[in-house]
Amino acid sequence: MNEHGVQWRANRALRHWRLPLAWLVLLTALTVGMAELESVFRWVEADSRQVIYDRADFVTLLGRHLLVVSVASLLATLIGVSAAIAVTRHAGQDFLPLVAQIASMGQTFPPVAVLALAVPVLGFGTLPIIVALLLYGLLPIVRNTLAGLQGIEPSILEAARGMGMSGGQVLRQVELPLAAPVILAGIRTSVTVSIATAALGATVGASNLGDPIISGIVNGNTAYILQGALMIGLLALTVDSTFERLTVRRISR
Amino acid sequence: MIAALVAWFVADLVSVAANRIVPGEGVATLDAIGWGGVLAGSLAMLAVAILGFRPNPRKYRAALIVTVTMLMALPAVLALAAARLADSDMPQARLGIGPGFWVVLFVTLLAMIELRTRLGVSRLNGWVLMLPVVLSWWLCLSLWLAPLALLQEFRGRSDQFVSAVLYHLALVGAAVGTSLVLGVALALAMRRFPTLQRAGFGVLNFLQTIPSLALFGLLLAPLAWLAANVEWVSTLGVRGIGWAPALIALVAYSLLPMVRNTFVALSQVDPGVIESARGMGMSHVQVFLQVRLPLALPVMLEGVRITTVQAIGLTAVAALIGAGGLGGFIFQGLGQAAMDLVLLGALPILGMALVADALLGALSERLRPGGAK
Repeated sequence: MNEHGVQWRANRALRHWRLPLAWLVLLTALTVGMAELESVFRWVEADSRQVIYDRADFVTLLGRHLLVVSVASLLATLIGVSAAIAVTRHAGQDFLPLVAQIASMGQTFPPVAVLALAVPVLGFGTLPIIVALLLYGLLPIVRNTLAGLQGIEPSILEAARGMGMSGGQVLRQVELPLAAPVILAGIRTSVTVSIATAALGATVGASNLGDPIISGIVNGNTAYILQGALMIGLLALTVDSTFERLTVRRISR
Repeated sequence: MIAALVAWFVADLVSVAANRIVPGEGVATLDAIGWGGVLAGSLAMLAVAILGFRPNPRKYRAALIVTVTMLMALPAVLALAAARLADSDMPQARLGIGPGFWVVLFVTLLAMIELRTRLGVSRLNGWVLMLPVVLSWWLCLSLWLAPLALLQEFRGRSDQFVSAVLYHLALVGAAVGTSLVLGVALALAMRRFPTLQRAGFGVLNFLQTIPSLALFGLLLAPLAWLAANVEWVSTLGVRGIGWAPALIALVAYSLLPMVRNTFVALSQVDPGVIESARGMGMSHVQVFLQVRLPLALPVMLEGVRITTVQAIGLTAVAALIGAGGLGGFIFQGLGQAAMDLVLLGALPILGMALVADALLGALSERLRPGGAK
């Protein structure tokens, strides 16, 4: 490939990822340079002495938020996808209605209620949040994986089996690739909800990006609230637009 | 069922605390309800497990009867434990519900739902099935379960509780009503002007991505500013905290499912049906009101269902910005480390969400053409 071609492909990749990159740049800029914006926040909250949240710096808060969400989401994806695969195999078919029922019923549970109910059982701190996020994040993943796997036309599976593929091969080379967009959409929903719910975790003693908001509400400091809200909003937008681009790419290929 | 059996023996059924502040002390099932109770409970669980082993409809029906009986007996178990453990020296004593009880309750409920689907019990019969269970719970709660911490928490603030429930429902109702009107209008406008469609869905998707806590926070500042600087806004009672940001955020979140479902519902009506209605000499308005709308209604109601369930949960978060409602109990309880107060807030929210989901789901099924009448 000549140099021109490489350049063209790089350009196209850049254009493809433009939106998530833009959000990411904004997020990083805000994380590092929150102190530079002091005058702006001073204008919003003229009465308070302190206008920049300083109990922990924003890099740490963002890091903790990301850690909680990614641990919970990774585990949820692993468990959810394998559970959905297990119940669509012949051996696990007995449990299919049960799992589908739990997945669809569980989604009517409000995340706040799940978080609140996790505290009496698991106590305060970061661990209950991870567990609550994990449990709640499982549901959309399981549901979408089930829908994706069941939405494949039986004739395709038949053809694959007719070509002499083993059960594992059919799963890896036919079923999973075909179901991937739907599964990815489920993971996207799960992660978006997790980011939002993790912020609520600040009320049960975890320290993350929800912290500035909560302490801003408690102390009546609008500047704190704005800082936390902006950070969480940008984080959610960055992650969500990345997923969106990923989905588009899969479909266009 | 095996899990329930394990929990029955290992985990603490209830906890007893001398008063509200002291953390409860676990009590195993055996000590709580004595040998007879343990034996009866184990037998019932074993029976369900065995009945589920080589399934046929008759066995399922028997298992269903056993599970319903178990659900009816569970509050009695609590009452028994309360009677055995209650100490006349400590009138302040509270009975907390332990993890063992929760697991048993959860597994039994799951078993009942599972059996109900396997037997293909109709929705109405399913509700009839729940009736004795609800009755038994209510009876036990009102007669014998006075030391239960949850109940004591409730008695301490029953007026507050009722008003919180009503307020919660009012907020949800207002949000769903507003978004229904706005959503349908938006969907109609999008059908008329296709250019609006892309932009509209873009904005609504964007709003949906912003986490609730952040949106509440972001609304706080401009609303506070408005209230401070524009007179008629503040006379309406709009303030940076309170119901105003909550309602705006709830409507913002509700619009996407509402608009999407209305739009899809109106678009997917078979063009052939519209054609023949037109052919019968119906006017545009008639076609819309008598053909398109009724056919689209079930899918639109699905949107209302999603929106309502979502709004019930989000209203709880809104308590953080002073909007009141049941979320207030949750956050108050978390703040005081009073878990029974948290439960007092969380359980009704859960119940409301489940009931709203079931009712609206049943309604949209009934309205579906050719659906159950």
